[in-house]
Amino acid sequence: MSVKNKSKNDIEIVQEKLQNIKGREGIIGYILRGSNSASIDLKDPTKIIDYAVLSATAFEAGQNMSAMFEIGEVDSIIMEGEDTKLLSMVANNHRLSIFMEKNVDHKKLCKDLNLT
Amino acid sequence: MDKDPYAVVLNNALTEIKKICPDVSRSFIFKKDGMIVAGDPEIDEKTLEGIIESFQKIAEKADTIGSLKTLYVNGKKGKVILSSVNDMYLALAASKNADTTYLHSVTCVIIPTVLKLLETTTTTPIPLQSTPSKQLIVDTLSGFFVGDSVQIDIKIIEEWAKLLNQKSVDQVEIEAFGGKTTQCKVKEINDSKLKGKGMIRIPEKLCKTLEVKKGELVKVKPASS
Repeated sequence: MSVKNKSKNDIEIVQEKLQNIKGREGIIGYILRGSNSASIDLKDPTKIIDYAVLSATAFEAGQNMSAMFEIGEVDSIIMEGEDTKLLSMVANNHRLSIFMEKNVDHKKLCKDLNLT
Repeated sequence: MDKDPYAVVLNNALTEIKKICPDVSRSFIFKKDGMIVAGDPEIDEKTLEGIIESFQKIAEKADTIGSLKTLYVNGKKGKVILSSVNDMYLALAASKNADTTYLHSVTCVIIPTVLKLLETTTTTPIPLQSTPSKQLIVDTLSGFFVGDSVQIDIKIIEEWAKLLNQKSVDQVEIEAFGGKTTQCKVKEINDSKLKGKGMIRIPEKLCKTLEVKKGELVKVKPASS
């Protein structure tokens, strides 16, 4: 199997897992963004831009903080708001952000995605 | 920032957190507007500015999730935790294996408690150091040149001055047992025979004001001049 096909296959596996996750209680949606494509599935489509901007900012801030505090390559970023939580990580060279209600166990999500 | 008592106390709190959680390597506290309140002196200014700049960018966009409460950045070699504490933010850098839940609960107890204490102590006037009042026996001063000052033992004046961390005590408050009070200047007893006998020499005019007579007891304490 070529590297390109393997990568495609890997991302399909992630997308399958995300399809499974998105139906769970408390999950608001996700954004999976590659260099050429993006999959977005959010319960409230009117917030796509807001969530996409927040996701991008989280990655940028995470990279900056990692560099400044010398904590190495970023595995995951968790941002908690008043009532919503965001889990961001890199999955097979794709930037993945999952939005959820605050009470959702994000550690379990990481395990389920097998990205810990 | 170190000279501010507020910052000193918060710096101490950060030091205590490091003692409780040795996994914490660096920490600092800042306000939403970017003002640094307390922190490790070893974190250079450029790093602090960079962190705050990143924070401000993210805080700006975080309204989507109902304002930023906590941010965790998990890296291969360590983690950064940024938590909202009252109207401030606490940034911590810790080792990879640091127990985030424990760290979060520790910081969420210590810092708010310290802040609450600081708020209480800064809004409540600090009570004046209790100056022990003395019960002294009245002796009357009469004559043309007695003036308005009372006279007491120099030892008592010096003791009060020391307690109040002052050079000297110039004024005293006298309270008669009948309830009358007055403030007046105080001097050292100049009659050597009356020294060390627990007496207060009060001009006759003042005795009338206080409604006290020779031989009666009065309560005397230093007053602010």
